[in-house]
Amino acid sequence: MRKAATDEIAPDEGGGPPGAGGPSSGAEGTGSPGRGPRAAPAAAGARSGIPRRREALTGLAFVAPMLALFVVFRFGPTLGAAFLSVTDYRLSGEWTFIGAGNYTRLLGDDLFWESLGVTVVYTALYVPMTVVLALGTAVLLHRTLWMRGFFRGLFFLPYVTSIVLAAVIWKWIYEVQDGLINASLGLLGAGPVDFLGSESLVLPSIAAASAWKGFGYSMLILLAGLQSIPREVTEAATIDGASGWQRFRWVTLPLLRPVLFFVLVIEAILGFQVFDAMYVMTAGGPVRASYSLVYFLYDSGFKFFDFGYASAVGLVLFVIVLVFSLIQRRLVGRDAD
Amino acid sequence: MATPPTSAERAAAPAPGPVSPRQAGTARPPRRAAARLGLPVLLVLVAVVTVTPFAVMVLVAFAPAGGQTLPGALDVGRATPDNFADVLAGADITRWAVNSLVYSLVSVLLILLFSSMAGYAFAKKRFPGREILFWSFLATLMVPFQATLIPYYILVSELGGVDTYWGLIVPTLANSQAVFLMRQFIVQLPDELFEAAKIDGASEWRIYTTVVVPLIRPVLATLGVFVFLWHWNDFLWPLVIGQSEEMRTLTVGLATLEGENVAINQVMAGATITVVPCLLVFALLQRYLTDSIATSGLKS
Repeated sequence: MRKAATDEIAPDEGGGPPGAGGPSSGAEGTGSPGRGPRAAPAAAGARSGIPRRREALTGLAFVAPMLALFVVFRFGPTLGAAFLSVTDYRLSGEWTFIGAGNYTRLLGDDLFWESLGVTVVYTALYVPMTVVLALGTAVLLHRTLWMRGFFRGLFFLPYVTSIVLAAVIWKWIYEVQDGLINASLGLLGAGPVDFLGSESLVLPSIAAASAWKGFGYSMLILLAGLQSIPREVTEAATIDGASGWQRFRWVTLPLLRPVLFFVLVIEAILGFQVFDAMYVMTAGGPVRASYSLVYFLYDSGFKFFDFGYASAVGLVLFVIVLVFSLIQRRLVGRDAD
Repeated sequence: MATPPTSAERAAAPAPGPVSPRQAGTARPPRRAAARLGLPVLLVLVAVVTVTPFAVMVLVAFAPAGGQTLPGALDVGRATPDNFADVLAGADITRWAVNSLVYSLVSVLLILLFSSMAGYAFAKKRFPGREILFWSFLATLMVPFQATLIPYYILVSELGGVDTYWGLIVPTLANSQAVFLMRQFIVQLPDELFEAAKIDGASEWRIYTTVVVPLIRPVLATLGVFVFLWHWNDFLWPLVIGQSEEMRTLTVGLATLEGENVAINQVMAGATITVVPCLLVFALLQRYLTDSIATSGLKS
């Protein structure tokens, strides 16, 4: 079922001929998408001219509400961010054009580099934790039929909650005095560990909490990937005498590579956008050890009202995410061939 | 017997060779049994780790005041709903819950309406600029929300939307994933259905309400659940736009509770209240939701 659905969608995604989805579009499939309907009356005669124009008008009318929202709240702010980033716009609303001023200021701003460093380290911790957890649970679920639906739902549970909720709960779990982990360590006679108060432990601790919250999504994607691997392939390997681990390492993993890569990039993009968890758990501390890029953006904008500067940070984040998206497009596209 | 296939054989088979049947016959039976038992045991272990945070949240929420330490919280016999009463009396949680509900439900309704209309047009109508518009809608997925947070905020505050419901809701309605999902689904519906309705003399709006909407009910349900969860769990935008205490959503309120000097038992009671609607929605539509996430790749 799933295979069929994606196959039907795929040809349309490839930027194929306009209107490839409907058989009725064959007649004027030659023109470019924009010009087709308008050029039609002359070519196809007056009989179909009026219906065409009406179809175009109804089409536009149906798109209109969403289009208006996109123009005002998506395209506008995107251009606005680019514009603001080359001004010194502040809360007062007065501004002058300062060209690359904000960007050169960023280059010399230690706090910016610190926050970028924190974000990179966090992502480097969060992504492997999440993906290993997701892959492990996906493989487990794939191999067992025992209450599979139940466990799948259970593992997905944290994903449907908010990061704020995860942060609030895990902050207590990490607490030095009565926290779950330290209370347990105390029963074993081990000394308390200040997970969120230690500069070296704070990022791994936050990353672990985020991985707990987020792995369910990647798990489902990977599980779907595992289920799409033809059973004959792994059966053939079994007949050849491959052990479970060998089958996984040399058959499953290579076939799963595109899906795995998709999941890695999605999680990396999420890692770079981290904010909520740190805002709630540590407020960026201790001594800015968990002060992420978006936190820096948030403070620049809503603490110092330095809107132009904050927008420049936003553009840096955009470029980082864009690079990841392009890598993904390139590699996944090649794998699909 | 264990050593023979050493360096030579291993070097000979470097890449995708599921070979070297080492210890093939001898070690099998015990390992098989271990694996049979091992998988469920591992599953249960991971499940325990997954559920523990929720469990401690509920335990601490129901523990008597001051009973946030582990043994105290585990004493189920002393469970009390006092923390819930206290947190409801102390903070404006009911108001926050109303805000969250308004934010989530109104967004769900409007996004479902506008995105299905746009999806229908993109899938079944030819009009100038259709492809360009569709792809430019999709392209906005590449721009992380945080990157445009500042112009968003300036725009909405210039329009007078700070601390208002519309300021909270309207900017979030331009949802590319919703439009994409709708278009992909509607494209697959046979054209004959719409043509038959047209021949019967139905107006376009009538075709939309009586043919399109009933046919896309499953996608509407899936998308509705997702939009609800996204908005219910949203944090940064409500944090920025709801500046007064009355305009906080539950997630923002929970974060501020945490920041202020509220007892941990009450914070956990607040957290429990926050999570209940998510769990309800999830429990009702679990199978549905987990199947569709894997096929449509929805992610906030």
